[in-house]
Amino acid sequence: MIHFAARRGVRALGVLLLVAVLAMSTPMMLPGSPALAALGLEATDEEIAAFNDKYNLGADPFTRLWNWLDGLVHGDLGTSIITDAAVTGQLAERLPVTLELVLVSLAVALVIALPVALRAAWRPGSVLDRVSQVLAFVLLSMPGFVLGMLLIYLFAVVLRVLPATGWVPFSEDPLGHLTHLILPVTTMALAEAAVYLRALRADADEVLDSTYIHAAQARGMKPARLLLARALRPASLPLVTLVGLNLGMALGGTLVVETMYAIPGMGRYVSTAIGQRDYPVIESTTIILAAAMVTATLLVDLSYRLIDPRIAHVARS
Amino acid sequence: MSLAAEAGRDVHAAVRATRRRRRLDTAATTVAAGWLIVLAVLTLVSIATPLLDPYFQDFTSAKLEPSLAHPFGTDGNGRDVFARTVAGAQNSLVVAVITLVVGAVGGTLIGVAAGYFRGALDNVIGFLIDAVLAIPALLLIITIVSFRGPSITSIGTTIGLLMIPAFARVTRSIALTVRERDYVKAAVLIDTPTPRILVKAVLPAVAPALVSYAFTAMTAAIVAEGSLSFLGYGLAAPAPSWGGIIAEGRADLATAPWITLAPALALAATVMAITTIGERAKERYS
Repeated sequence: MIHFAARRGVRALGVLLLVAVLAMSTPMMLPGSPALAALGLEATDEEIAAFNDKYNLGADPFTRLWNWLDGLVHGDLGTSIITDAAVTGQLAERLPVTLELVLVSLAVALVIALPVALRAAWRPGSVLDRVSQVLAFVLLSMPGFVLGMLLIYLFAVVLRVLPATGWVPFSEDPLGHLTHLILPVTTMALAEAAVYLRALRADADEVLDSTYIHAAQARGMKPARLLLARALRPASLPLVTLVGLNLGMALGGTLVVETMYAIPGMGRYVSTAIGQRDYPVIESTTIILAAAMVTATLLVDLSYRLIDPRIAHVARS
Repeated sequence: MSLAAEAGRDVHAAVRATRRRRRLDTAATTVAAGWLIVLAVLTLVSIATPLLDPYFQDFTSAKLEPSLAHPFGTDGNGRDVFARTVAGAQNSLVVAVITLVVGAVGGTLIGVAAGYFRGALDNVIGFLIDAVLAIPALLLIITIVSFRGPSITSIGTTIGLLMIPAFARVTRSIALTVRERDYVKAAVLIDTPTPRILVKAVLPAVAPALVSYAFTAMTAAIVAEGSLSFLGYGLAAPAPSWGGIIAEGRADLATAPWITLAPALALAATVMAITTIGERAKERYS
């Protein structure tokens, strides 16, 4: 297990390093220099050098990555070319917003998907089973921005019960915070729930048909206990993968939802930065998002063996 | 006797359930195919005739409700939303086709190479794929398209390039198993040239999975293009694309919801139709 974890860890670091070098190469993807674009064509060599030095530009990707890592150790992720503010501070404001969005949606999605999937697998072909399958299919066919627009139209325009867009910090107005959270969270949670529902429903079907489940049932075990204590763990492998990958991608995946609902999180931050060619912001966020993804993949890989020890046995023999 | 009768009833019920599901499947496939055919015909009409002009503006008839003359109403500039939706379908489908070609060809080459030759090549390819998948796809698409300038070809090839890892994974796993089959081992033993084995044995084995996955990839491409346009990084303003029209209609959601809802529902229906037909293809080929 330790050997396996170490090997995977080294590989993950390698992947991250490659991504970091690629991210540091973004200014080279466009002709022209950011310094000339910002300072104008009459800029002196000294001015250009000072500009490049301040924003960590101009050098080759490896040197720039080295400078970036040096800053990282000191808690400095560079300076935004557009706003001239420290990227570290801007991220510290936006990261909690996105994290809240992601974690609350995940919780809601699981609260919807788990009981419905298990109940549906318990009675295949029942009304609940058929309705949930059709709903999952419809939700899976809707991209985030389509589902979001429908929700906004229904709840903000027709029923007028929820705000269409905007974000209120919890410290300012807890109730307003909650009402502004409902639509974006619903948009994300419904799409996720559909994915989880399908994965869990498919696997639970197989697990419920195994001998030990029939035996437990014959002994008189209550369905709820049977489903949660016996069937959930073996059926949850793909679910763990999906949840893990989803958490890894989520920081980048909130991009559409954050833009649609005007939420000041990571996704909107980085998409604005791309439009403005704000290289220090693009680079730092890309590396951070990739680090989240790589870590999530690694944890998923390792958790497999904890959930199902048989996998480690097969790998060894 | 009662036991036998009961068992018989059960069998009959099961047979009826299967038949009902088959009928439902057939009906769903028919509706799905019908929708795509209607879309294709309308696209042809829009290309070949001036009947459906997505750019024609008439400011005296802005934000008209859906009617016989304008089935989906008109937008804030007095353009026909139906014509724009049809033109948007055309752009979505062209992007999807370019994506498919780039992703399937690139992914098959890379995946088959990794799965068939294994060893160091497989490791290097796996490492590169991990690196691509580590960056959020939409972020990467926006960056590349924004830097290359948004055109149908740049959007299509960029999404296609990012589709390569998924295609490579599908084809690699099949190439791995094909390699172990007896007829391939025999071919290797009698010194059959490797390209011939790849074309005659590996490619036919990979093809069914490729076809099944192509439908999923197509819907992913349509969604990616829509998200890109919705965020404002897709085709530039007057050009009609589903994501773009939906975003344009946002400001008028209270006064003219049809501008947003029509393309949104068309997009969802198209994704559903392609998925439905894809599931049939998957059943047939597996």
